[in-house]
Amino acid sequence: MNFLAPWFLLGALAVAGPVAFHLIRRSVRERMMFSSTLFLRPTPPRATRRRKLEHILLLLLRCLAVLLLAGAFARPFFPKHNALPPPAETGRQMILLLDTSASMRREGLWPKARSIAERYIKGASLADRVGLMTFDRQPRTVFSLAEWSSWPVDRREALAKERLDTLSPGWGGTHLGLALTTAAEQLGDLAHLTATPGARDLALISDLQEGAALDGLQGHDWPKGVRVIIERVDPARPGNAGVQILDSSLANSGDGLQARARLVNARDSNREKFLVGWAAEDGTGFSGKPAEIYLPPGQSRVFSPPRPAPGAATVALRLTGDEEAFDNTAWFAATEKETVTVAYFGLDPANDPDHMRYYVDRAFPETPRRQVEVVSVVSNSVFSPALLNRASLAVVPGGLAADEARVLRDWIAGGKNGLLILSNAQSGASLGALAGAAELDVSEAAADYGLFGEIDFTHPLFAPFADPRFSDFSRIHFWKHRRWNLPANLAVRVLARFDDRAPALAQISLGKGSLLVLSAGWHPADSQLAVSSKFLPLMQTILDWSGSAAPARSQFEVGQALPSPASAGDALQWRKPDGKVVTLPAGTPFSETDLPGIYLVTGGSRTRRFAVNLPLDESRTAPLSSDDFARLGVPLSTAVASAVVTSPAAKRRFLEEELENRQKLWRWLVLGLLGIALVEIVLGGWLANRVKNFEVTP
Amino acid sequence: MPGLNSTTRKPPSREGGFVDPAALMAIRSLELRARVVVEGFWKGLHRSPYHGFSVEFTEYRQYSPGDDTRYLDWRLYARSDRYYLKRFEDETNLRCHLLVDQSRSMDYRSREVSKSDYARTLAATLAWFLHGQGDAVGLVSFDERVREYLPPRHRRGHLRQLMLALDQNAESRATSLSEPLRRVAELARGRGLIVLLSDLLTPLEDLEPSLARLTVAGHEVVVFQILDPNELAFEFERPMLFEDLESRQEVYVDPQALRAHYLSLFEGHGREAEAVCQKLGASFHRLITTQPLELALAEFLRGRSRRNKLVRRHVGGASPR
Repeated sequence: MNFLAPWFLLGALAVAGPVAFHLIRRSVRERMMFSSTLFLRPTPPRATRRRKLEHILLLLLRCLAVLLLAGAFARPFFPKHNALPPPAETGRQMILLLDTSASMRREGLWPKARSIAERYIKGASLADRVGLMTFDRQPRTVFSLAEWSSWPVDRREALAKERLDTLSPGWGGTHLGLALTTAAEQLGDLAHLTATPGARDLALISDLQEGAALDGLQGHDWPKGVRVIIERVDPARPGNAGVQILDSSLANSGDGLQARARLVNARDSNREKFLVGWAAEDGTGFSGKPAEIYLPPGQSRVFSPPRPAPGAATVALRLTGDEEAFDNTAWFAATEKETVTVAYFGLDPANDPDHMRYYVDRAFPETPRRQVEVVSVVSNSVFSPALLNRASLAVVPGGLAADEARVLRDWIAGGKNGLLILSNAQSGASLGALAGAAELDVSEAAADYGLFGEIDFTHPLFAPFADPRFSDFSRIHFWKHRRWNLPANLAVRVLARFDDRAPALAQISLGKGSLLVLSAGWHPADSQLAVSSKFLPLMQTILDWSGSAAPARSQFEVGQALPSPASAGDALQWRKPDGKVVTLPAGTPFSETDLPGIYLVTGGSRTRRFAVNLPLDESRTAPLSSDDFARLGVPLSTAVASAVVTSPAAKRRFLEEELENRQKLWRWLVLGLLGIALVEIVLGGWLANRVKNFEVTP
Repeated sequence: MPGLNSTTRKPPSREGGFVDPAALMAIRSLELRARVVVEGFWKGLHRSPYHGFSVEFTEYRQYSPGDDTRYLDWRLYARSDRYYLKRFEDETNLRCHLLVDQSRSMDYRSREVSKSDYARTLAATLAWFLHGQGDAVGLVSFDERVREYLPPRHRRGHLRQLMLALDQNAESRATSLSEPLRRVAELARGRGLIVLLSDLLTPLEDLEPSLARLTVAGHEVVVFQILDPNELAFEFERPMLFEDLESRQEVYVDPQALRAHYLSLFEGHGREAEAVCQKLGASFHRLITTQPLELALAEFLRGRSRRNKLVRRHVGGASPR
């Protein structure tokens, strides 16, 4: 039997303690009530002169307990050679998991991480297979185990280092849990591929910042045999602070920009006082006076930054006073308010609730991101096409003059949307004129009232209502509606039908645009549509669908896709903060958000701004400990630097540690110790009782 | 009768005609215990060397002219047709005070019987015995001062009351003899018998003046020193902390080293107490809690007899006192 920590065996000398205690009679604890101490005088305690050990069994138990304790601390193990890890010939499978998140940009971290990775690559034997993965929000394979195997043996190290040289930390957040589980699964899959897999190790080279997401680690079913070696790189100076603009609180009030921001200070920070203000245009200082903020380490605080100087370009919030600079700028793009024009072709009064116009004005209330203006393009029987050209949507409540129909048709064909309401049987002419067909036959339906019979929830107009909570249109009564036959020569899609199968809402494609045909009005004479809860969302959806939807958010994190603003145009030009221009078709989200900064998107004459920032969690740079991983059930390897064990003594030491760790004989010794303690307590108690009884009745 | 159940279960063993105190203490009722002892004493009397003693000598005197006719015993006259005076019967009625030490040191026991139990049983026995003879018996229980006082009486129910008082386990304290004895000297009017039952484990400076006050007042004083066998022999083996039952003082003692010294001091103390009693004409008896109580009673009577003979010789035998 060998011992891992033989110096603890010196603790066995403590058996002298029990022996001495048994020689010196422990009589002071005994007590006798006596009638009077009048005739007694104190005598000094004395060691037994008989030199006779008392309670031999008790003494033996106590000595054995001391010996077991010393033995357990010395960590014994049986040197069985067949129990050692498999010889190097079997080959080890190792995946290096290299952190390239933004927090690795801290001073001195990346060279350290690289040198550790190089050390592992260099230490790989001929039989070993090494793979390299990087991770930030997503894990990425740089070279796989199979690729390593395919390389010529003598060029493996050089090729691997070549790939390593191309890497650098990015700006993304850290999803450590996802990276670990992905890499572990890759290693776990090897067990199925090879009959005798060697050791399967996962070397995690990271700063282990506490802001890293560890989702998925708790309760993860780790493949058998996979061990995780943690290689933590520590920065030259601990501590960091970061700032984030809270998107939801942005508001452009009358006297300038009002924003709220959050400041976090890492747990291991040594500083508590920071300056936060709007960055000057040259990026080096502040525009205006920065706010001085006191924040103890490990805490976060929401505050309102000072208002920027009037006229200053406010694109970023800047933080100074902390140790690391990589996360000290929070880029900012104000949510822009869009003004949309809806062209109305009717002459009905705007303030009469019996008419449709009254409800159109109220269907588009002002929101923080959109202001809708409803204009009458026909006033005093004069049609003004200029007003129409400004509009995004045209609403036609019935009859149209021939020239109006012609202009509107062209306007729609150019890529706009119109909504035609068949408010009476005479609307057939307008429908025909707009659709470019002969006059269509429109007749009043005979039923008492109509209800929506079927709705196409797959169409974008009704898609928001597809959820069963919102899909009940059956309570909207249509007192009057019109029936019309679908012209065969037109591309017509019926979006909704009445219960008598007559089309309620249909889409007729005209050139690049669409004409929506509603077979009943929403005013009280025709239906309950205007007073139903569906009217406003439906009208908003029609307006959004007509190309006026402004993206709700303008603040994003690195790695998140930017939504494409709706545009009538074909292509959008995206400009990244580094000046690179990418052209994408309209409607395709922009996903190359690998840099923090302001992204510009241009479509037609309009330009929108998006701010892309570092996730605030990257600023929480205090390191996690290996205990945190152990708690999450990560199978940690006890030998941290096992890959670079080179000297024979160190190798033997490593093997001994492995062997001891597997056998864990100390557990049995501690168990024995507990048993002896139990017996000792019982025996000691019994003996003490016996002595007491003896004293009372000598 | 209270405590009868316990007697029917296990009759006290009588070794050599006397009841072992340990067996006697199994009887819960103090009164019954006293009765057992006294009856045992009477039964064993024919074998006793102290045959024919009594507390007081009683006699009838033949009437002679000039005597007070109030004291004529008319019953006797009816039987014998002679005149006798019963004057002496009245005169010989004894007023006895039983002084029982109830201090904490009396609670010590190394065997089944504590000194306190022994003292109370002895007091009960004496009370029963004396009451049976028509004497008035009173009780004074004390520790450092008088805790309970029952004046000597001879009337129906008094004995029961006395037994109940003896049976009470009051919260006791340290022993002091001077104050209780001074108080008894005040309370006991007229001459009488004072029986002190105590371990006397207290400094003896005050014992002599206190006892002297009683003897000077004409009382006959009998002192029973009641001790535990272990107090006499000090047969402890291992060193330990000895805690004083009264003062709670702790002394670490190795008995083997201290035994000789302890025994000499203890014997000296006992001799001193005996010397004080002898000097004042009081009877001194040392009792061990393992001794049968009948012997204690016999000891008591023998002492009384001896003293009465002395007194009679001294006064010419005309009067029992």
